[in-house]
Amino acid sequence: MSCPQIQSGRKRYWSKRISLIVIILGIILLCPVHSQAYAGPGAGFAVISSFWTLFVAFLYSVYAFLTWPFRHLFRLLRRRRVPGKAQIKRAVILGFDGMDPVLATRFINEGKLPNLAKLRGRGTFRNLRTTFPAISPVAWSTFMTGVNPGKHNIYDFLARDLSNYLPFLSSAEVRPPKRTLKIGKYTIPLGKPRIRGMRRGTPFWHWLGKAGISCSVIRIPATFPPEKFPGVLLSGMCVPDLKGSQGTFCFCSTRSVGDEFREGGVRVPMERHGSVCRSYIPGPPDPLAGSSGGELRVPFEVRPETNQTRITVGSEKFTLKVGAYSDWIAVKFKGTLGASAHGICRFYLKELSPEVEIYVTPVNIDPGRPDLPISHPVTYSIYLAKLFGPYATLGLAEDTWALNEEVLDDQAFLAHCYANHEDRERMLFDALDKTRHGLCACVFDTTDRVQHMFWRYLEENHPAARKVPRDQRTNVIEDLYCRMDVLVGRVMKQIDEHTLLLVVSDHGFKSFARCVNLNAWLHQNGYLALKSGKSESGDWFEDVDWSHTRAYTMGLNGLYVNVKGREREGIVQSGAGAEALKQELRDKLNGLVDPASGAVGITGMFDCDAIYSGPYVDNAPDLIVGYGEGFRASWDSVMGKVTSEIFEDNLKAWSGDHCIDPRLVPGVLFSNCKIAEEKPGIADVAPTILKLFGLDLPTHFDGKPLTVTIDIAP
Amino acid sequence: MASPTSIHSPSTAVAGILGVESPTVVVVLLSLVISLLMVVVFRYTSDQKAIRVAKDHLKAYLLAVRLFQDQLPVVLSSYGRILISTGRYLRLAFKPLLFVILPLTLLIVQLDRYLGWTPLVPGRAFLVKVRTGNVVILDDVSLLLPPEMAITAPAVHVPADNEVLWRVVAEKEGRYNITVAAAGQDFSKEVVVSSSRLLRVSSIRLQGRFWERMFTSGEPAIPAKGPIRAVEVKYPSRNIRFAGLEWNWIWLFFVLSLVAGFFFKTVLKIEI
Repeated sequence: MSCPQIQSGRKRYWSKRISLIVIILGIILLCPVHSQAYAGPGAGFAVISSFWTLFVAFLYSVYAFLTWPFRHLFRLLRRRRVPGKAQIKRAVILGFDGMDPVLATRFINEGKLPNLAKLRGRGTFRNLRTTFPAISPVAWSTFMTGVNPGKHNIYDFLARDLSNYLPFLSSAEVRPPKRTLKIGKYTIPLGKPRIRGMRRGTPFWHWLGKAGISCSVIRIPATFPPEKFPGVLLSGMCVPDLKGSQGTFCFCSTRSVGDEFREGGVRVPMERHGSVCRSYIPGPPDPLAGSSGGELRVPFEVRPETNQTRITVGSEKFTLKVGAYSDWIAVKFKGTLGASAHGICRFYLKELSPEVEIYVTPVNIDPGRPDLPISHPVTYSIYLAKLFGPYATLGLAEDTWALNEEVLDDQAFLAHCYANHEDRERMLFDALDKTRHGLCACVFDTTDRVQHMFWRYLEENHPAARKVPRDQRTNVIEDLYCRMDVLVGRVMKQIDEHTLLLVVSDHGFKSFARCVNLNAWLHQNGYLALKSGKSESGDWFEDVDWSHTRAYTMGLNGLYVNVKGREREGIVQSGAGAEALKQELRDKLNGLVDPASGAVGITGMFDCDAIYSGPYVDNAPDLIVGYGEGFRASWDSVMGKVTSEIFEDNLKAWSGDHCIDPRLVPGVLFSNCKIAEEKPGIADVAPTILKLFGLDLPTHFDGKPLTVTIDIAP
Repeated sequence: MASPTSIHSPSTAVAGILGVESPTVVVVLLSLVISLLMVVVFRYTSDQKAIRVAKDHLKAYLLAVRLFQDQLPVVLSSYGRILISTGRYLRLAFKPLLFVILPLTLLIVQLDRYLGWTPLVPGRAFLVKVRTGNVVILDDVSLLLPPEMAITAPAVHVPADNEVLWRVVAEKEGRYNITVAAAGQDFSKEVVVSSSRLLRVSSIRLQGRFWERMFTSGEPAIPAKGPIRAVEVKYPSRNIRFAGLEWNWIWLFFVLSLVAGFFFKTVLKIEI
């Protein structure tokens, strides 16, 4: 008998044996005598949980079927009447944060984006006017509310506290519970943290939901904290990590040296104990420690082996190779008196020998058991976590700081980015499946983050790429656009002829090769004063003499006048005095030239009183600075630091940007329908969608409905 | 006829093994030990990751029913997925159950002989039932008892079932062998009489029928070609008092082992 025949015979023999065992066990199970049917807690759990699930499902289905007519009637009576006839059955909006029309056109013309080319050919491709300033939370807030920033109150990532000139996050505020109980050195919180959303205005999906139109909204920026509305929403940009920051990674190393990171990360020592290394993940402040500080920590243990290492975090054990990420690992920060916080993070083994170095992503809020609400309803984030496993919940989930600080290399950064991107794609297609009628909107951040970090490879002489040999400069951005095009193609296959598809970006992109420290310029031109003996300041205006300062800048595009009676130590008279100063600054800064290259560093200075209208204009900066192409606010200037140099090279991997003159960075608008307007704006999307679903438009909208011809080609 | 053997032999008493006499304590201890053992066996014989995923999917589809309750197609498809996921979960749970089910079933069969019935009490009547192969020999069947036992009523013949029954009473505690004679052959059957609470008893002795014998009889088979099919002693069934209720031991074991299993699986972070 040949070998295969022998194997086949053995297989048959074992197959018969196994079948016999299964039959015997089946008989034991199916023909129980007296009490012997019970086969232990395992069987009990299996039977009870599956029975319980089916029982709950059955009960709920009976309830759903019996109450459906009443609920339907209730919804009909309660919902806002739709005055017009809907022209579409479904609207699918793909938000590609930062997709640039110039690059899109180039790649389409080169034949690399066949699906976007199809949309351009059969439907529409336009530049989409962005907001002043062209910053994601500002632009997406306008996208969803249909109003200018003066009505939604978001002007930048950061806003300034008038009482101390310090920054705070403009979109949301997370504060400790209102009531606490102080016992000795402990402060026991009585209640949950208070979360206050600072974005105003009503997102257009609220109007749709009230009219009984289903909505699934995924990861649109500036939707944290999630607001209640008839639909499901997963918050995006501005969701904090477990520390309450916008993303603080942790770099654990056995190396003893290393500067502190400028921003976005912390170094944590890793100590060797024989063959084991021990370190920890820093977490949120101990809620019981009150104002005295003290952070919660999760210790972990590393056991290096030949080509890999074994890591133990709590009850989780896993193996990592050099250059590889772990899955999402659940971590629990245990505080005193039973307080705890749940998060998830990924580990990346950077080096194993001679030193051990591990990068840990910012600890994201665990979507499966969120300590803060990150979705509406709260169960939506849990539903997604149960369906697809843990996923990044942090607003800025792609760790650009870690690449900037050279903790991660290009490949490690991209691997994490695209892992997040794939999670987002799964969520989108699930939402498409669930939303056969209504609105399905999803924003992908990958386009923004990858362009920020890899623009340096698009240019021959970008300062941030000088040390990278030309043959190692990869086509990361081209690959990114191709990947987004494939996604568009997959979505096009999922939709029918009654579905409107919009591909929208909030702004475009340009190079960020030169930094402009506007605080330095203000200092050198006598508008900003430092305390005597100082030639530079620390972060956040440390050593600034406010009693002699007339103007200052912080954040990405805002410039502020130090107005008397408004700022704590303001000296400029409001009204005519402030207006004159604004005009003077506009005149001097507009057209500011970089002496090194002769290029114009600032191409526009915009008076906020002229560009904004609405109840929150008082919170706006006084001027918006429109940097020229290739320029942006310097890293120091953003953090309220005065340096001696006004212009300098940008050497960081963060080499592309959009926080410049908004006229230079429009977004994109692709559609599978013809749109008549030549110059649509991002504020026009909300009224357009409402109109297409047959709803009346609120009178406060600044955007205008676009003229869409519903003649969708297959 | 045989003389009675000691009923206090440690080898025959669970009480002797565990050092306790209370059936309640025995059931509680067994539930804890067995559930811990089974949970650990389940952990190492199952695909924990796949079970976690299957359970998560089940929960997700349940949440989908709630989240998208106004969209009937979504609700209906979620029901379908719930069914599929339940099947997947049961399939994943079946493999570790194969490892658990046989030893545990055999163990429970043995335990049932200690905990399922109470021994006979001296002075209280009980029934001895004999089943024959055919009705013809019913009149030839006789019951031979040790001196410590006596028949208290004439034998009752039930031709329709090929059975004959005697009412018997034992005077003293002991482990006896009673003998049934028919067609010139003798067949013995053990009878346990004791006021002690935990003793192994076998209510029936059977001819052939391997599976039934394995589950219900603790005695060797009756010779295959003899005229007697079965000899049965009607022991009173045991009820255990726990939490103010009377329980059959298996129900108490079921509830306690589930609770203990839930505790152990949570503490040991095992997916079941």
